[in-house]
Amino acid sequence: MCIPEMDVSINDFVINVATANGTGSQSSNLILLNSMFEMGVPVSGKNLFPSNISGLPTWYIIRASDQGYQAPGDKTDIQVLMNADTWFKDIEKVESGSVIIFNENVKLPVERDDCLVFGLPMTKLARGINPKMAKMIANMYYVGVIQHLIGIDQVALEKAVNRQFKGKKSAVEVNLRAIEEGRKMAEEGITWDSPHAVEARQKKEGTFLIDGNEAAALGSIYGGVNMLSWYPITPSSSLAEGIIHWLPQLRETEDGMSTCAVVQAEDELAAAGMVLGAGWAGGRGMTCTSGPGISLMSEFIGLAYFAEVPGVIWDVNRVGPSTGLPTRTQQGDLNLLREASHGDTEHIVLIPGTVEECFEFGWRAFDYAERFQTLVFGFSDLDLGMNNWVCSGFEYPDEPIDRGKVVRSAEQMAAIENYGRYRDVDGDGIPYRTLPGSGLDPILYRGTGHDEDGIYSEDPEVYQKLMMRLKRKLFNARKHLPSPVIREETQKDVGIIYMGSMENSIQEIDDIIEETGLKVSQCRVRAVPLHPDIEAFIERHNRVIVLEINRDGQLYGVLRKELPINLVPKISSVAYSDGMPPRARIYADLILEVLKEGAQ
Amino acid sequence: MSKVIKLNVIDRPKSDYTGGPSSLCPGCGHDQISGVIIQACWENGIEPSRIAKMSGIGCSSKTPAYFLGQSHGFNTVHGRMPSVTTGANMVNKDLVYLGVSGDGDSASIGIGQFIHAIRRNLNMVYIIENNGVYGLTKGQYSATVEKGSKKRKGAPNEQPPIDMCKLAINLGCGFVARSFSGAKKQLTSLMKAALSHNGMAVIDVISPCVTFANNDESYKSYGYVKTQSEELHGVDYIHHFQPMNEVDIPEGGFEDVELFDGSVLRLETLSTEYDYTDPTAAIAALHAAEVDKKHITGLLHHNTDMPTADEDQGLVDTPLCDLSEDMLRPSKERHEEIMARFRA
Repeated sequence: MCIPEMDVSINDFVINVATANGTGSQSSNLILLNSMFEMGVPVSGKNLFPSNISGLPTWYIIRASDQGYQAPGDKTDIQVLMNADTWFKDIEKVESGSVIIFNENVKLPVERDDCLVFGLPMTKLARGINPKMAKMIANMYYVGVIQHLIGIDQVALEKAVNRQFKGKKSAVEVNLRAIEEGRKMAEEGITWDSPHAVEARQKKEGTFLIDGNEAAALGSIYGGVNMLSWYPITPSSSLAEGIIHWLPQLRETEDGMSTCAVVQAEDELAAAGMVLGAGWAGGRGMTCTSGPGISLMSEFIGLAYFAEVPGVIWDVNRVGPSTGLPTRTQQGDLNLLREASHGDTEHIVLIPGTVEECFEFGWRAFDYAERFQTLVFGFSDLDLGMNNWVCSGFEYPDEPIDRGKVVRSAEQMAAIENYGRYRDVDGDGIPYRTLPGSGLDPILYRGTGHDEDGIYSEDPEVYQKLMMRLKRKLFNARKHLPSPVIREETQKDVGIIYMGSMENSIQEIDDIIEETGLKVSQCRVRAVPLHPDIEAFIERHNRVIVLEINRDGQLYGVLRKELPINLVPKISSVAYSDGMPPRARIYADLILEVLKEGAQ
Repeated sequence: MSKVIKLNVIDRPKSDYTGGPSSLCPGCGHDQISGVIIQACWENGIEPSRIAKMSGIGCSSKTPAYFLGQSHGFNTVHGRMPSVTTGANMVNKDLVYLGVSGDGDSASIGIGQFIHAIRRNLNMVYIIENNGVYGLTKGQYSATVEKGSKKRKGAPNEQPPIDMCKLAINLGCGFVARSFSGAKKQLTSLMKAALSHNGMAVIDVISPCVTFANNDESYKSYGYVKTQSEELHGVDYIHHFQPMNEVDIPEGGFEDVELFDGSVLRLETLSTEYDYTDPTAAIAALHAAEVDKKHITGLLHHNTDMPTADEDQGLVDTPLCDLSEDMLRPSKERHEEIMARFRA
C-alpha cells in the first residue's frame, strides 16, 4: 500500500452508504446518524432513494461538520459498498486515500490499492445471528466497522439503537450483537489508522432530529386543522401520515372523539375540492401533495381565489416536469404555486427553510388563509420534508388563532354598514363573510362573475373592480407575511437571495465565495408576495444573486415581476437543478462565474 | 278580509323557500324540479338556514339560484360538487346537504366523484337532473343518453348509456330513486323521503331539455317519458309529525318504508310486486326496462346498513367549524410534554 501519512480529520468527513432499497439500510444509517448526533457531533443525513419499493439502488450520505455544513459534501471519505448493481460505479467515484468498507458476500472485487479497504462477510455473519433476517442484519456490520473506525461512543450508539427499534428488546439485542461483532472484527482486522474520527462536542441543549414533513404535520395540528384530505404522493405522504399519527394524541377529547376529519380522497382534484368545502363551511381544511397534485388541483385553486374561500395546501416539491424524478428534490414549483389556475390569479406562498419554520408556517398558514380569505400554500421540498434535520424545538404559537372577518351574529352584522359578501367596507380589500348554517345573509358562492353582494354579474365595471380589489387584497398581505431572514455584512459586495432548503447549503456557499475576498450577505425569502424588506436589501447591495434549485430561475422571475424596474438590472439568476440536494461547491462556482461576467 | 298565509310546521310561509327568477328556457324540466325542491323543503319543515345547496356546472347546476334563497350555497366547478360537499360535511355535519347536478356533470366529468361520494355514504341528497344532453353548450349528447335515442338535430346516439341508478345501486347506495320532472306528486314524495334519509340519497330525475331534445325520438322528451314510463309503485310520504290517523289507507296492498327521521314512505302496489330491498332485483328491473326502451320510476332501492361518511369519522358532537380555540390547539402544557418526549 502506498498511502501517505495524513492527519486525522475530526468531525469533518462524508460517509456514503450504497445499498439496495428494501434491505432495511434506513435503520442502520439512522443509527449511525443518531449516534453521532447523540455525541454532539454536527451531522446531517440525506437519503437518496429510488421510486421503487425493493431492489433498486439507494445511497445514504452522512456528513459530519464542525462548521455546521449540512449540504452533501463534494466528495466521499468513507464509502460503504453493499450493492452489486452500483458496485463498480461507486468504486470508480471514490477518491484516492478514501476508506472503502464492503460486504465480501457480494463476491465482487475491490481493486483500489490507493484506498484503505476493509471487507467482511456481512451477509454470512448475519445469517449466523438470524437466517431469516440476514439481509437486514447484514447492514449492522458496517455500523460496527464505522463505529470502530471513527470512534463512535458506545453509550451514544446504544441509545440510537434503542431509539431506532423503539426499545423493542429482541430487535435491540440482535442488532447490537451484529454491531458489536462488526466492531470487534474491525478492531482485529484493520491494520491501518483511520484518517477520520468523531470527537464528542457539547450537544446543543434540547435539540433533536426531525424531518420537515412531521414538523409541518405538527404545525398544522396546532393550527387547528379540521379536515385533512389527501391523496398519496411522494414526497408529501408522510406529512399527511404525520397528522394522522399525531391526531389521537393531540386532537381528541377524553372520550376519544376527534376534532379533525381525515379523508383519503380519490384523487388530488377531490382533495382540493374538500379543502374548499371545509373552508366554505367555516372550518380549517388542508391537503398536502407534490407538483403533479398541484397541476390537478389548479381549477379549484382558481375557484378559491375568485370566490375567496380559505384553505391550506402544502406542496412538498419533487423533481418535475411531469412525473420527473419522484424521489429527488427541487424548487421547481414556485411559478406554479404563485399563479396556479387560469386567468389572473395569484396566491400566498409560505416558504419554510428549516424544520422549525415548517412547524411555524404549519399553524400560521391557517391564520393567513382565514385572514385573507384565500388559499395559502406551504412550499417545502423533498430534502427539507423527508430528511432529518437538527431541531432546537418548536415554539408554542405566540398568537391566538385568527379566524379572520367572519360575521357570526346578527349584532355583528348590524354593526357593518352596507354589508355585502364581496364589498370592501374596511378599505383593506378584505370583505366580511358569513357561514352556512348561521342564517346570516346567505349567498350562493360561485366561480362565475359576481357583484359585491355575490349576485351573478357580467358587468364590465363590476368585474374589473372586483379583480382590482383582489389584487389589492394580496398586495396588502405581503407586509403581514413572514419577513425575509437577512444576514448582512457591513461591506455590501454581494447579496444572495434564496429560499427554502437552500438554507442548509448557504453558509458553505457563502464561505467558499468569501475565500475570494468578497463579502457576502444573505437574504432568505420566506413568502410570496414579496416582503418590502427584500427590495430594500437589493437596494443596499452592489450585486445581487438570486440562487435557487431549478433550471429557470423561478424566484428570479418573481423578483423581476414584483421589483421596481430600476432594481431589475441589479439582480442575476443562478439556478441549477440535478435532483440532488444542493452541493455548495456547484452553486458557489456558478455564482463566481456570474460575478466574473460583471454587471449585465 | 286578509289573505291567510299557510305556514309549515316551523311556522314559515312557502315564500321563505323560494329563490330568484329562473333564467332557464321556458318549460325546462329543471324549473319543475326546483319547484319540487321548494315544496319538499317547505313541507318537511326544514329551517332554510340549515340547508346547504351544492352544485357543479351546467344548466342544472345554475338552479340553486332559483330556490331556497335563504340558504347558503356553492356553485362549484364542473363535476366536482361531491368533493366540496364532502369537505363541508366533515366540518359541519349538522347541515342538510342538497346537491343538484346534471347528467353531463355527474355521468362524465364528475363520475369519479359521484362514485366515491356514494362509496363513503356522504350524508346528502344528490339530485341528477337528467336530460341526456349538454344544454349550456348547445345540445351535445351526454353519457346517459340511451342507444337509439335522437336529439332534435344530428344523428341518433349509438353508444350504450350509463345508468346512474344502476351504478349507484351497484355501489351500495342506501337510497336510489328515479322520477320524472313532470311527475310532481311522485317526485315530491321521493324528494321528501330523500331528505329524511340518513346517508347518500340519489334521485335521478328525467328532466326534458325543451330546446335540444324534446322531440319524440328523444327518449327523455316529455312525449316519450309520458308514454314509455312505468311507475313501480305509488308513493306517498307521511311526515313523522303527521298523526297516522290522518293518513288515508290505500285500498290495495302497500308497504311502509321507515325513514331515518321517523317519517314513512308508503309504497302502494300497482300492477306487480317490487322488492325495493333487493339490489339485484333493482338491477334486473332497470336492465329489463332498458331492453324494452322504457323508464321505470319510483324508489328503486333502500337500505340503511352503512354508517355515513361523517359518522365514520368519530367526530365530536359540535360541528368542527364551531369549535373554540381550546378544542383546536393543544395546550402549552401538552406542548411542553411533546417537546420533552422528542428531547428524551
